[in-house]
Amino acid sequence: MKKEDDFKLSFRLQKEEFERQKKEMLESIEYASLIQAALLPPTQQMNRFLGDHFILYLPRDIVSGDFYWIFHMDDWVYLAVVDCTGHGVPGALMSILGISFLNEILSKKIFIKPNRILNLLREKVMKALHQTGIHNESKDGMDIGLIAYNSSTFDLQYAGANNFLHFIRDKSIHQVKGDRMPIGVSGIEENSFTNYPLRMKKNDIIYLFSDGFVDQFGGSKGKKFKYGPFEELLFKHHTMPMGMQKDVLLDAFLDWKGDYDQVDDILVLGLKI
Amino acid sequence: MKFISFRIHNFRSIKDSGWNELSPDNITGIIGQNESGKTSILEALSSFYSGTVSEDVLRGDMSIPVVSCCFEIDHRLISKLLNEKELPVGVFKQIKSSKSLCLTRIWDEDMGSRIELSGPKVSNSFDKHNTARTEHDLKLQKRIDKCLEKKDNAVSLLLNSEEQKKVLSLEVERYKLLIPEAQKESKMLKGTREEKPAITKLRKTKEKLEQASADLSKAKTELEGLKKEAEALTQNSKLAESSRQARIRFENAHAELDSAYQDLRDLQRIFNTISYEIDRRGVKSELDKLNDKYVKVLQEYDQAREDDILKRNLAYKVLGGVSQAAAEREVRNEKPHIDPFYSREEAGNILFGYIPEFVFFEDFSSLLPNKIDLEDILSGNKDVEGFRAAGNFLKVSGLTPRFFVEGSSRLLKQKIEKLNKDITIDFQDFWRQKIGKRNKITINFELEHYSQSHPDKSGFPYLEFWIRDKQERLYPKQRSRGVRWFLSFYLELKAAAVSDPDKGMVLLIDEPGLSLHARAQEDVLKVFDYIKDKIQVLYSTHSPHLIDSKKIYRLLAVQRAIEDDDSSETKIFNAKSLTEASADTLSPIYTLIGARLSEQQYIRQKNNVILEDISTYYYLSTILTMIELKKEIYLLPASNISNVETLVNLLLGWGLDFVVLTGGNPEGMEIFSDIKQNLCRGDQSLVRKYLINMDQFQGIEDLFSTLDFKKFILHQRVGIPETNSEFLKENRYSRAVLASNFMNEVQDNNLKFGDFDEETRDNFMWLFQKLESVLY
Repeated sequence: MKKEDDFKLSFRLQKEEFERQKKEMLESIEYASLIQAALLPPTQQMNRFLGDHFILYLPRDIVSGDFYWIFHMDDWVYLAVVDCTGHGVPGALMSILGISFLNEILSKKIFIKPNRILNLLREKVMKALHQTGIHNESKDGMDIGLIAYNSSTFDLQYAGANNFLHFIRDKSIHQVKGDRMPIGVSGIEENSFTNYPLRMKKNDIIYLFSDGFVDQFGGSKGKKFKYGPFEELLFKHHTMPMGMQKDVLLDAFLDWKGDYDQVDDILVLGLKI
Repeated sequence: MKFISFRIHNFRSIKDSGWNELSPDNITGIIGQNESGKTSILEALSSFYSGTVSEDVLRGDMSIPVVSCCFEIDHRLISKLLNEKELPVGVFKQIKSSKSLCLTRIWDEDMGSRIELSGPKVSNSFDKHNTARTEHDLKLQKRIDKCLEKKDNAVSLLLNSEEQKKVLSLEVERYKLLIPEAQKESKMLKGTREEKPAITKLRKTKEKLEQASADLSKAKTELEGLKKEAEALTQNSKLAESSRQARIRFENAHAELDSAYQDLRDLQRIFNTISYEIDRRGVKSELDKLNDKYVKVLQEYDQAREDDILKRNLAYKVLGGVSQAAAEREVRNEKPHIDPFYSREEAGNILFGYIPEFVFFEDFSSLLPNKIDLEDILSGNKDVEGFRAAGNFLKVSGLTPRFFVEGSSRLLKQKIEKLNKDITIDFQDFWRQKIGKRNKITINFELEHYSQSHPDKSGFPYLEFWIRDKQERLYPKQRSRGVRWFLSFYLELKAAAVSDPDKGMVLLIDEPGLSLHARAQEDVLKVFDYIKDKIQVLYSTHSPHLIDSKKIYRLLAVQRAIEDDDSSETKIFNAKSLTEASADTLSPIYTLIGARLSEQQYIRQKNNVILEDISTYYYLSTILTMIELKKEIYLLPASNISNVETLVNLLLGWGLDFVVLTGGNPEGMEIFSDIKQNLCRGDQSLVRKYLINMDQFQGIEDLFSTLDFKKFILHQRVGIPETNSEFLKENRYSRAVLASNFMNEVQDNNLKFGDFDEETRDNFMWLFQKLESVLY
């Protein structure tokens, strides 16, 4: 009897300890989420430099491995949608590294082409994570879609690391494929990222997004949403005001996900020229 | 004030030297062949300071010599020195902005001279000011003249009117006399046939009388009016008239002054040509009289000038409606005869007192003599040999004429012995420390008196100098020329330090290396380097040993406009244009640095690009094999960045064109800055011609993108967020080895320029375009 009581007591104590630790950890992560939120560009800044736009940002956990970033310099606005390796705390740590590095790269306030920014970002990540391309080494890093847009001239330059740029013009959707390599070390030797110069038109709509939405399992057969349907979804509603597009995307996501768990952080950014 | 540039007009073979800047490090050498005009430059500068020139400096066309010198100056010093009057508008601003002050000495036909504050913009400001003053004076004069003209007209009209009145009066009188006669005649002819005409004549005479009387009455009225008017105008113009008289007196005084000066000058010229003392004495007496007269006339001239100005100003004010008492008061306060502004000459003379002393160190006067008469030293007789050196000796020793008046010859000898010891110690210290010599040389002087074997000087004191080495006691002229030169030079420096250490000195030295052996000539350069912070040196030389191959920018090259024609004018080339001088002129440089490499194939006459180091050479020469440029480029690597300046000087000396390519690293920036300052003297067009600084690239490796750098040079997959050159430095890679490997790899793998990424290609094309833009 005594043994049983001891066991119960021990179990209760362990449970209490576990609860305490869990509570502490959650509090800690909750607080970390505040810091991460503070590192994201404030809404006023986004409105000021982007104008008509929406951001659908749905972290899977309290903190997120996805983030968006903006930087303004003269007539140019840099905008990035970033998906760091993993999600939750590891992703969040990586995101902080990414935000710092991006700010650092542009700290000299001179115009740098998006592909050169990605080249530089990769150097920084590789050095920070001591990546040298040897076997069994961590392949942590990030995927990114980065644009530099000049609202005076309508010039846009895009570079992507495992990321696509979509834009809708004159009732058709266009896709600009970035390079198939990450920011960080990968199986193949690093090459320079490609810079895609584009001339935008009034009322063009640009979409940048991480792979969280398209990789979400759901629907009647529990399959991934996939790129094709996602492009169709964007195209179908692109004439709607940007704010409403966000709501439509959110509804579509929730419908698709149903009772399935969210598998990754979700980030979709739409921008009307 | 630092002497920074000069310009010489009409001085011996120099017609117009143009502006020539001195070396910023205070040592400027003048090279050139015999008779090219090197010494003329030094003499002209010496004359600028002394004001003395002889007629033989005049050119064939007898044009007047003019020498201008510019000095670095803090504008605050100008405010301090020129604080009694004002400078014309714009002068101070110009001096402040240029941070320099130019003074010009202009000689006249009699070889007298004046110093003026000058400089192109400064002169314009003075001209404007003077024009404004002249216009003001003219305005005053015009008003006075107008008033006088009006009065003169009124007086003239009055005189005419009086004359007319007189005529009319006579006419009335005449008619008055004619009427009784006509009446009488009429009575007498009554009843006759002539009665009627007689009556008519009487009537007409009466009518004429009436008319004349009426005219007279009118004339009288007019005369009264004119009288009043003339009276009023005369009253008003009294001061104007007084001013006119003062003006006439001033003009007369001026003419008299000119005449007195001309007489004095003519007689002075005659006096100068007389050789015999007896004849000279006679003329001298006359000359004195003329001089006294001139001084008296000059005083009268000054008085007349002042009177003229004061009366003109007073008259002008009164004519403008000011009461005479008030006008007098105003003129008293304004003092218009005293110019509140400095003239060019006044300002020039004040500032001239603060420029460094120009000392011409030349053999005859500046080398220590064996002996010299005390009287010649004390009377300042510059025509005796060694005058300056002996004077320096006395100055350094602190000796005044009173020293030699010592009654006790024993005390005098003691004093001299002590002084000899002090001076010797100083000199030995200088000799050993500054030029590394350990010769035990002592200098002695003694006061002696001429014996009866010199009847004309018997009993007169003279100083005798000795230079002692070990046990040998020799006269200066018996010693080696090197020792004598250095000793004399030392005395010059010491004397300068004693005179006024703050004033500064510009030492002009003609051929310091003449007949000194090579080592001694190099010692001369060492001494120049030692003193350059306190004393600016300009020296002429033929000797390669008096040229520092690392500092060719110190040189001015002098040659005749038409080579081998000693009658053609002198041209001066400075560091910026040295390569345009003839090979013969530059021969000391060629001798110094060996063969003329412009005649071989490695380095070319043009399009040489001096590189910081061998790594830069490897990379650029390799890339150059991959691309086709419109222009030929000859890369010339320095063995180390610190040797870039040596290469610059060598190419400058050889007369070859070049461009220096430096990186944005601190050493590269320093070299860039040195060459910019010393060779280009801040001239942006020269900076563009001679220098390319890759300021956004620390080193040549940074022209490669990080990816290409890793791929083609480092062969490692490692993150390099810093610049490539920083990465190499931090990780202690051998730059030269990597560069050499790169060169081999390009050759072995037949790499093409297109194999590099866009960033690398852009960077190299930027560099080559920059090079091509300055090459021929």
